[in-house]
Amino acid sequence: MVELKNVCVTYESTGVEALSDFSLKVEDGEFAFVIGRSGAGKSTLIKLLLKELDANRGEVYVNGYDLVKMKKHKVPEFRRTIGVVFQDYRLIDTMTVYENIAFVLRVIDAPMKQIKKRVPYVMSLVGLQDKADCYPSELSGGEQQRCALARALVNDPALLIADEPTGNVDPELAYELVELLKGINDCGTTVLMVTHAHEMVRHFGGRIINISEGEVVFDEVIGGAEIEAQ
Amino acid sequence: MKLSSFNYLVRQGFDNVWKNRVMAFASFCVLLVSLMLVGISCLFYININSIIGGIENKNEVIVYLLEGTTDERVSEIGETLKNIPNISNVTLYTKEEAFDDLKKKMDDYTEVFNSLGNDNPLPDAYRIRVSDISLMEDTLRATEQIPDVEYVSSPDAFIEVLTESRRVLTILASAIILAMLIVSMVIISNTTRASVFSRRREISIMQSVGATKSFIRFPFFVEGMINGFTAGLFATLLTWFSYDSLVDLLGRFDILSTIGLGNVIPYGDIALWVTLAYLIAGSFIGALGSVLSTRVHLKHRAANM
Repeated sequence: MVELKNVCVTYESTGVEALSDFSLKVEDGEFAFVIGRSGAGKSTLIKLLLKELDANRGEVYVNGYDLVKMKKHKVPEFRRTIGVVFQDYRLIDTMTVYENIAFVLRVIDAPMKQIKKRVPYVMSLVGLQDKADCYPSELSGGEQQRCALARALVNDPALLIADEPTGNVDPELAYELVELLKGINDCGTTVLMVTHAHEMVRHFGGRIINISEGEVVFDEVIGGAEIEAQ
Repeated sequence: MKLSSFNYLVRQGFDNVWKNRVMAFASFCVLLVSLMLVGISCLFYININSIIGGIENKNEVIVYLLEGTTDERVSEIGETLKNIPNISNVTLYTKEEAFDDLKKKMDDYTEVFNSLGNDNPLPDAYRIRVSDISLMEDTLRATEQIPDVEYVSSPDAFIEVLTESRRVLTILASAIILAMLIVSMVIISNTTRASVFSRRREISIMQSVGATKSFIRFPFFVEGMINGFTAGLFATLLTWFSYDSLVDLLGRFDILSTIGLGNVIPYGDIALWVTLAYLIAGSFIGALGSVLSTRVHLKHRAANM
């Protein structure tokens, strides 16, 4: 579960108030699109949820962790409960697809048996089973995105945050990716997808959270073209 | 940490050396040059010290005893001299030996000596050598205070020059070694910082998936140690080669013995210590540099988050 209560975030260097009196609650197992213009506060929200940034005021709870009161040494443990897909993929260039995905399990000291079982499974889930030994530079944009998704999923996280995951792929792949995220959500993982692609949001429908100037200006469930068609 | 994770991180460290070979090579070169700068300065210092030591060993002090001192008393004085700290060698120089030596040196005056018959005017004496000539004054004072010692003869001016040379050399060598160490540390620190900085993206990804600081630092530690060890190994080989070549060259032209400095230490005598010092210092500095730079980077990143 994600819950933010009256959160304020101001960047000291610029004095810009990125989030002001921001409140939001996303229940376990939900799928929500977070939309908004550039500079609306979406990236700040993600940084806040990943504990890369601290709130100046308010309360932030993610997966049962109180991020405001969290001690520094607890941060790695907390981050292991979240899977993140970044817009720029953030794959380690010197590691193969297999190693990039397995790295998350290495971090949590997972047994080799589990790594050998789980990594090929998530690779097949995203259709990368034949690319295990490839380096990120040898993959297409879509494949890199799927590798990033596999890495986010391998640890079976309670919350999956996707930051503009469709930003660098063609529309067809973008729709496939959201379908994949929807499928993951159906298995019980909470998914928070930040996007600019309003067209796609309208197509899929569901819970839409619109942020503008650091505030939630719209938060409703709408029926998408896909839903209406059903 | 499980053994499998430990093995994984060590393997990562080894892999990273190859994967980041450009920066690894830069670190290796910097470490190699730094180690050699400090190493050669140290070798230069210990050799100059050994040469001065060799000259010092040639110092000789003669302790003249009072005329008429009994043989028993002469032996007692010998024992007393041996018990004085800083005296390394005590040899009795009897008046008979002294008289014979004098006769040999002044063979033009044989008739004069013959006219003396058995009447030997010379006293018994001891030839002594001191271990540390900087303490010569104290040693002479202690020697002069022994009853039945008439006079102590020592090469004062020569000792003064040697003591002063050693003092200046120690200060100079310490300053050079310290300067080399500082320069080396600055260069190493900048190179490792650049190496870590070039991989800041990788570090930030590791952090975002929940890697602890120690998990991130460990492969850097291994990587730094491998670089340092390799640099130490090459520094050993290069030093060995250049040292032997230089000693060979000086020996071939008899330069050292010509100028009276025959006490250069053969490389074989110090090879083990030089090798160990290079390997340990290389590994330690390499690992420490990497860990500190990663630590600073992680701290800086945390502060900017």
